[in-house]
Amino acid sequence: MKIFCLAEFKVEFEKLMAKKSYNSIEKDIIDYFFGKSVQELSSGTRLNNSSETPYIKKRISGRGGFRFYFLLIIKDESLYLMFVHPKTGSLGIENITDESKAYLYKKILECIKNRNLYTLDLDLEKNNIFFKKL
Amino acid sequence: MDCPSFKSEISETLSSVRRLSFEEKKSSIFNEERVNALLDSILEFKKSFREKTQRINNINEKIEKLTWFDNVDDENLILINDLISSIKDLHSTQIRIYVTLNYIRSKGVAKKEISDFKNTIDELKDSYQDLESVFFFLPKLPDFKETTKQLSLI
Repeated sequence: MKIFCLAEFKVEFEKLMAKKSYNSIEKDIIDYFFGKSVQELSSGTRLNNSSETPYIKKRISGRGGFRFYFLLIIKDESLYLMFVHPKTGSLGIENITDESKAYLYKKILECIKNRNLYTLDLDLEKNNIFFKKL
Repeated sequence: MDCPSFKSEISETLSSVRRLSFEEKKSSIFNEERVNALLDSILEFKKSFREKTQRINNINEKIEKLTWFDNVDDENLILINDLISSIKDLHSTQIRIYVTLNYIRSKGVAKKEISDFKNTIDELKDSYQDLESVFFFLPKLPDFKETTKQLSLI
């Protein structure tokens, strides 16, 4: 599975990593998204009624109670992380609006077309995520 | 002090010690029973909240799975609309229960169970809001369906 992300996701990730109470996010991403099959990642709330390119909201329990928004392109075995927010704490929000969900959806289409994305890879010990601009 | 009065003093002290010792033994057994009863109630309370949390978690999982069905027709949309109303109702009942736990929570009893319960009822709210988004609101937003179409062509 190739993993990409929007600039919006990277910004949120870095903001959360800077706060001690949310820095479990890196491990949460590694544990949940890396080394998984399409089937294993096809769970959560599907927002777009598409079986080929499901747009998914996934709640990951744990310290931050993070909500991830991502797109799967099944035939390419590619995953695009679009946005993340914690549920609780100082940066916690209950939910994002439907307009924001729709904005992110259009944005990912545009960024896939223009290759305006980052790739996510792990270091040798598989403890850290590295972002690289495409 | 002469000998007879010393003897009577000892007897009196002995009698006080015996009386207190007996009473304490009796009451310590009684206290132990009360403490055990209290601990049993706390364990029972924790168990019931763990079970309740698990049941709501199962419901949340079922709700998520509904979003993976394709081509939902109007008849099913009516059912989903009813389901959303029922989940809202269940959510407000659970919030009322959570509020009644304020005193227990402030005393630090069953902290983890109550916190897990609250997280789960928050997720229940998330679940019905997501159902509304998926089946009623997002499809109506401009370009949302068109984006799905364009993504399938990539």
